[in-house]
Amino acid sequence: MKAAQVIMDTGTHAAALAVKSARVDVIPGYPITPQTSIMEAIAGMVENGELNARFIPVEGEHSVLAAAVAASAAGARVFTATSANGLLYMHEVLHMASGGRLPVVMCNVNRGVFAPWTLWADHQDSFAQRDTGWIQYHCSSNQEVFNTILQAFRVAEQINIPVMVNFDGFAISHCLMPLTLPPQEDIDRFLPPHKPEWRLDPANPSSFSNVTMAAEYATFRQLLSDDIMASIPMVKQAAQEYKEITGMWDGDTIDTYRLEDAEVVAFAVNSMAAELRLSIDMLREQGIKAGLLRPRLYLPFPTEDIISALPKNAQVMVLDRNYNYGHPGGILASELKSVLYGRRNDITVKNRVMGIGGIDLTRRFMASEIRAMMDE
Amino acid sequence: MLEMRINGFGGQGSVTLAHLLAQAALENGEQGQALPFFGVERRGAPVRAAVRMSPTTIHAHSQCELPDYVVVMSEKLTEAAVSEGISEIGTVIINAPHAVAVQKYPTWHVDADAIAHEAGLFSADGPLINIPLFGAVCRVLNIPQNIMEQTIMNKWPGNGERNLDAAGKAYNTVTQISVKRAVSA
Repeated sequence: MKAAQVIMDTGTHAAALAVKSARVDVIPGYPITPQTSIMEAIAGMVENGELNARFIPVEGEHSVLAAAVAASAAGARVFTATSANGLLYMHEVLHMASGGRLPVVMCNVNRGVFAPWTLWADHQDSFAQRDTGWIQYHCSSNQEVFNTILQAFRVAEQINIPVMVNFDGFAISHCLMPLTLPPQEDIDRFLPPHKPEWRLDPANPSSFSNVTMAAEYATFRQLLSDDIMASIPMVKQAAQEYKEITGMWDGDTIDTYRLEDAEVVAFAVNSMAAELRLSIDMLREQGIKAGLLRPRLYLPFPTEDIISALPKNAQVMVLDRNYNYGHPGGILASELKSVLYGRRNDITVKNRVMGIGGIDLTRRFMASEIRAMMDE
Repeated sequence: MLEMRINGFGGQGSVTLAHLLAQAALENGEQGQALPFFGVERRGAPVRAAVRMSPTTIHAHSQCELPDYVVVMSEKLTEAAVSEGISEIGTVIINAPHAVAVQKYPTWHVDADAIAHEAGLFSADGPLINIPLFGAVCRVLNIPQNIMEQTIMNKWPGNGERNLDAAGKAYNTVTQISVKRAVSA
């Protein structure tokens, strides 16, 4: 049996290498910082024959996702990537991918949205797509980006729902770190070829997503809602089987650190949640029983796993890198409060917004913010 | 975990220097991380990059605010680089034609420009000072010379002679010029 290989690479290249390992068939692409180096790397792989796929350069993100939808409906395994305003420009077609039950996998490299322009990370872009019917992972390391893209294809093709794999611009995307590449035969065992139950076929014409009457439309929408909820056991199974085959584990629906006896729980996603492990260690050294709960899945929101993981009477400090406009604070806090209501009345939720537009979130800063929130 | 910040000017090769150092950590049996700060890049504008090395998994993803080492790619940046933040027990490594002492912090000095000139390492932007600086930083961190050489050979297979020459010269000429430490209050 071949051994895994360890290389040094960036987060965007980790994504491109996962796409190659997943033997993706079609990749439509349009550049946007900080995602561009994913598309550059994939275009290079297709050009030099490393990846036997069709790379389709188009004129904008709306068309990128339209091409992805069409290729997926034709039965191909499809990947694309975007960031910030590119994702916002796709918004209409996001609904078409999920409503059409097409298992596209897309990376969104998180970046703050226009206006004014910023290049750096916050989570307004992905969280703003909450109601589009996509499954959403948020990753906190280069390795998790690689692992999650493979798990995302498994889940997407099992339940016919598109999956968005999010990770921070620059802090992950342009960060060079060790990356473990499992042998291709192991990846092939984890992710067999895509065999859709149905596809568009010119030899056997059929219509797709035609006008429906209210009763049919409502049925489709109900099925999408039910199936997104039903994807949670699939997400867990994919993480578990990936671990059995590759030995790597990033959590399933959630990831935790020093949580079991925690009285103060930090709750956050993406690279800040990785850095938060160091803040937790600092707080523990100060005698504060701190822990971390990182939702790896944002959608479907891992309600049951969060409810069962939170220690009794914990104060949960939600650190949001986004705004929930029209409400005080951020989106994650709002989501968390809504699932705890009536089920965990012992939990106190506190919230701060930070790191907007890429403001650096250091372990010292986040530890001192959590310390200050304890006294509020 | 060892933390380092590289302060330089756009075009001096600070991203490649950061990548080489992270790669050398891996070659040396540790974990490495290179996290350049990407701004609106212009040639000649101040730039910075974070480098981390650790025997265990690196979870930090911020820029290094209080690094153990500050690498100053141009003498002109010394004051600005140190004032951006450094650990109380931090060390400064400066590229300059002559020894520059930084108050409070142990300082190492290397003439990377002269070494690059001598080795014939040039680009359109001037001498490739990141290669000798890589050698100098490896020496200061006690990374063995053979690991440094292996990292260069892996980065530029079959084409590393002048790079090896320049990095080796810096490895063997970087000099500690002050050992005065800060007294913490």
